[in-house]
Order: sequence, then structure tokens, then C-alpha cells
Amino acid sequence: MKELMNLETNPPPGIRIRSEDCDAFNEWLVDLKGAENTLYEGEEFQLLFKFNGRYPFDSPEVTFTGSNIPCHPHIYTNGHICLSILTDDWSPALTVESVCLSIVSMLSSCKEKKSPPDNSLYVMKAGKNPKKTRWWYHDDNV
Amino acid sequence: MKVKIKSWTAVGTWEWVSNDDTCGICRMSFEACCPDCRTPGDDCPLVWGECTHCFHIHCIVKWLQSSQQQQLCPMCRQEWKFKE
Repeated sequence: MKELMNLETNPPPGIRIRSEDCDAFNEWLVDLKGAENTLYEGEEFQLLFKFNGRYPFDSPEVTFTGSNIPCHPHIYTNGHICLSILTDDWSPALTVESVCLSIVSMLSSCKEKKSPPDNSLYVMKAGKNPKKTRWWYHDDNV
Repeated sequence: MKVKIKSWTAVGTWEWVSNDDTCGICRMSFEACCPDCRTPGDDCPLVWGECTHCFHIHCIVKWLQSSQQQQLCPMCRQEWKFKE
């Protein structure tokens, strides 16, 4: 709750919380803008955060949603994101804001818009909740 | 003139001495208590790690119990060791 107010009043550039669409305790929608001078400049995306009762001791479920899912080697076309801080490397000191900034930075360092190599197989097999995927983090370049 | 004091009421204030204002886990002020407690102070004390980061004891213990992997400081990811 405190986090929601904080993000509403002092949002970092390119990040806007859609508080009208937020269910204060369970689900938040956040608008992200692709950073300037990156492959995603001018594009807008939407992130969906789902929290369970153990937040911040357990990570939120974070996926891209809406009509524009970024084309990126770590983002599947179903909106799932392969990012270690969302599962194994989660820390309770992370916030919605810091997660958004990590995702913007992951987009910004991308050199070529490409879907993950295993996209079609993954999208076919994956469930709804990306936290149930056994992610294998192996690429630290983008 | 001599004044005879019949009674007096002392008032004290206290504060934690820490290098930060809020707990990095629950985001509450250190002068307040963690979300599970009702009264700040000795009932909801602060603890320090050897890495110098500081949290409400209840918050860091909850984190250490819930993390399945190594016990890491939420701020710097060094191995968490309680500072004596």
C-alpha cells in the first residue's frame, strides 16, 4: 500500500502505475515506456504484477500483458519474462519500482529484437504462472 | 524562598541508532515496528548483519526462514551473519 502511493506520487521516468486498474492488494498494472535511444524507443508496454500474501518475502508474479509484448530474447510471446530476480534471485528489498527499472534496463541493453530460441515450444507448454517454470538462467548479455 | 517538590513526572524519548530510516524489507520506519507488531521498541528490535545492513529482527528472520537457498542479506546479497 505504501509502495503504491509512493509510485503514484514519484514515478521514475517512463513508468506509470495505472492505479485505477489496481486492486490495491493483489494485482497492479504498470505502463512502461521503452527508453530513448534504444530499440524500444517510442513503444509502450504493460506489466501485470500479481502479489500473494507472502510478498515481499515471496516474489510477485510479473508478466507482460496487453496488445504489445516486447520482442526480446528473454521475453516469451505469452508475456513470460526470463529474469532471475523474479524467482531464484528475488530479495525482499526489491520493489515494484526496482523490478520495473530492471526490466527497462533489460530491454535497453538488447541489440537485436528476437524472440527466445525456444519460444514456440515454451509458449505451447507453459502454464499461466511463470513462477512455476523452472527457469534456467544462462545468458547474462542482455 | 524554598520550594518543596512534592512530585514530578519525567518524560523520555528514544530512538534507534541506525544508518538508515526505514527497514529495507517492510519499508516501515525503524522508529515504528514491523507490520506484525503493535508496539515499537524492545518488542520489535533492530538487528545488524556483519555486512552492516540493519532490519527489524522479525523481518530478517522471516526472510531467512522463507528463503530456500543460502541465507543472504536482502540489500547486498552477502551471506547473512548476525553481528554480535
